[in-house]
Amino acid sequence: MDFLESTALYNILRGPLVWVAFLVFIGGSLYRVYTLLDMARKDKVIFPFISLKATLKSLFHWLIPFASRNWRLRPVVTVVTFLFHICLVFTPIFLLSHNILWRESWGISWWSLPENVADIMTLIVIFTCIFFFLRRIFAPEVRFVTFNSDYIILAISFLPFFTGFLAYHQWLLPHGAMVNLHIFFGEIMLMAIPFTRLGHMFYFFLTRSWMGSNFALWHTRDW
Amino acid sequence: MASKNAVKEAVKEKYISKDFKEYVRDVIPDKGLDETIKGLTPEKIEKTIKAVIGGRSSRIKAVMNTCIHCGLCADACQWYLSNDKDPTYAPVAKMRMTIWEMIKRDGKVDAEFIKQCARIVFTECNICHRCSMYCPYGLDITFIIGMVRRICFLLGVIPQRQLDQTQAHIATLNQVWLSQNDWIDAVQFIEEESGADYIDLRVPIDNERAEIMFLPLGAEPKTGTYHIERTAKIMLVAGVNWTVPGEGTWDSSNMSMFVRDFVTMQRIVRGLYENAARLRIKTMMLTE
Repeated sequence: MDFLESTALYNILRGPLVWVAFLVFIGGSLYRVYTLLDMARKDKVIFPFISLKATLKSLFHWLIPFASRNWRLRPVVTVVTFLFHICLVFTPIFLLSHNILWRESWGISWWSLPENVADIMTLIVIFTCIFFFLRRIFAPEVRFVTFNSDYIILAISFLPFFTGFLAYHQWLLPHGAMVNLHIFFGEIMLMAIPFTRLGHMFYFFLTRSWMGSNFALWHTRDW
Repeated sequence: MASKNAVKEAVKEKYISKDFKEYVRDVIPDKGLDETIKGLTPEKIEKTIKAVIGGRSSRIKAVMNTCIHCGLCADACQWYLSNDKDPTYAPVAKMRMTIWEMIKRDGKVDAEFIKQCARIVFTECNICHRCSMYCPYGLDITFIIGMVRRICFLLGVIPQRQLDQTQAHIATLNQVWLSQNDWIDAVQFIEEESGADYIDLRVPIDNERAEIMFLPLGAEPKTGTYHIERTAKIMLVAGVNWTVPGEGTWDSSNMSMFVRDFVTMQRIVRGLYENAARLRIKTMMLTE
């Protein structure tokens, strides 16, 4: 515990490891996107069929809740999925505490969420993660294709928000320890994104482009 | 009577996969699967799998790295819905039981596993693409199924009927084992028979510079000559200058597609276009 709440650990996590995490996240993501596009180019039958107009239409269609038929058929999953992703992405970007850190490091800052709103958004991430966890256990069609990796990436997404919430409210562990754990798990998540299926974050746009283009080619609806 | 049938149903032999215990099916004998796997060796299997998916194409990689195992594709699949939502019929489950396992074991799977894969991808999926329409990422699951079909095809493990058609296409470029003479005979027979109703009815063969070249499906000259007869009648009444090819490929059904036999697919399609070029026709008209 002494080490966990120490300033020494904080300095490492807040200093060089931030560089490492972001470099791995950004560099890794660019690398993964580049390699997939390069593979697609070498396949020769992908790029000739890609249509930008169809891609954009398909992206809009699937990024709006209840626009597509399957979203409408699964209203609970849809609501949970959208809430989870919106809160997951925008809470870290517009959190006041994170904004202060950016200003400390780079002198830049932007608009922040009111603290109570950020709190609720964090709780949404926590509870939607629990929903996904229960779904993996209790839904038969999900259970049949669930592996350890699925639980791991769920935990990776869950822990930064869980520890962040606890750190803000100063619950469970001494504040310093909780903050250090939070930063640690946040960095793990950033580094895990390009190299696990959390990479669906950017792959979504590419796979959507391929299928949207195919639907346009076949003159069929993007259901 | 009802109870007798119930007993029969209850003792019907069940196949339980040794790889996936939730995969339970009735035993259905099929020579195309049961007999053909006898010729397989682990080396052949591994070599074939690596040849087809070893290069890890972008579409396979995209699916492997993006599929979040959410199971939302399940509701798209008519096999899943009509089998009381048995999770082993879901599209993602089909991938799990075939290609994911092949990749996990680095191609080292046995003949029973290949038979199981063939059963899944040939008789429990018809590559309709509905799953791709329901997947939030739009993953090309049918491409994966197609690659597994190709692996089974290259190993010669295909359900009997489909195996027959695959081989027919390879040997005769049509799905019904017709020789070129049989084809021309059938066409001439139709012309003769229809003469009773329409004296001017013709089924022109190799009519150069015709407007339309008609390409039937294999079954038409073999078991459904009335289809070609009807087409001929329509052309006669519409006053269209048309033809069928006398040389080369005439069967536009491409069953080789269903087993991803790329070489034969290409031979068929190229043959059709070559006929179009040879006869200098304007439009190719396919039955389907």
